[in-house]
Amino acid sequence: MSISSGRLALVVAVVIGALAAQVGLIAGLNLASQGLTPYRTCVLTATPAATTSVIDASVRQGSATSNFGTATTNNVATGSAQNRRLYIRFDLSLCTPAIPATATVRLATLRMYATGLPASCRTVDAFSVTANWTEAGITWNNQPFGTAINNPASGSASNSFTIGTPAGCQNLTNNAYIVGAIMTADVAAFVAGTATNFGWMLRDDVEGSTSTITSTFSAKNLGTASQAPQLVVTYVNVP
Amino acid sequence: MSSIRNVAVVAFIVVLGGATAFAASLSFAGGSLGMASTSTPRCTNAGLGQIQNLSGSNVVSVTVSNLPAACGNATLQVSLNNTSTSSGGSATVPAAGGSVTVTLGTPVAMATTEEIDLVLTGP
Repeated sequence: MSISSGRLALVVAVVIGALAAQVGLIAGLNLASQGLTPYRTCVLTATPAATTSVIDASVRQGSATSNFGTATTNNVATGSAQNRRLYIRFDLSLCTPAIPATATVRLATLRMYATGLPASCRTVDAFSVTANWTEAGITWNNQPFGTAINNPASGSASNSFTIGTPAGCQNLTNNAYIVGAIMTADVAAFVAGTATNFGWMLRDDVEGSTSTITSTFSAKNLGTASQAPQLVVTYVNVP
Repeated sequence: MSSIRNVAVVAFIVVLGGATAFAASLSFAGGSLGMASTSTPRCTNAGLGQIQNLSGSNVVSVTVSNLPAACGNATLQVSLNNTSTSSGGSATVPAAGGSVTVTLGTPVAMATTEEIDLVLTGP
């Protein structure tokens, strides 16, 4: 007597199905039991000096119609008609591989190399810019946030950090990258597409002081890799 | 007919064995499967700080910070790719967490865009 081909096919299919289920369980068990914590990071660095993936420029109230997009230093300053602001933008679309719009951004850190610290501890506010600007064209008079000082209000800043030589100031070491410029929420919005990336503007928390107080940072055009502005974005693809 | 019965009995036993194994591991593996897609057991979900350490214009190591104590003794693998060259290394996270510097096997030239992959295995 021989078994019919139909019955044999049915039996084989059932056996294969059972085996496949077991293999699937084993695969799942191995993945979970390894306890993996994967992160991916995109680091954008303003190097070489000619790169267009990062643009930076300071605007100076005292030279309101001049552009400083090719300067080797950037400033944030408060003073009587001598305020200075720093604009900087990183092109996140150049991350390789691209950051998926569905990624969860865990940490985004703006890093700038300080080469001149004020003698008093100053608060610097970082604002997400809401209109386009160019490195070669921006001036105090045509900057996206306008010429009024202390605008926008400090309360709308994405983040703040302090800088200056007094003890207790967050960034009190000269010739070092600053800490505390955490821009995670902004970058998450850029990645998700809920906000457009026009970069950030950094200004003194209280512009218009009677004496001029300046913080200085290395700019892209300095061309020194170890001092170049950076944006470090750490994300995960699975929450 | 006996031949059919034999095949059927063997098939039944095999399938039953599979089903038994499936059921035996379902409670454990089922939980693992769920975690794999939504809450894989990780030592941290925090954002990890990363600093590239340079020698000239080359990245020679990566310092990873903000590691919680829950990641203590885990193995941290770092891979850095500047879109043309890649290098990697690994180190053990201190028992108390904190930061750890991973030296790359070969230096990688700093570039405009770099990808760093971090994988914490264990603890």
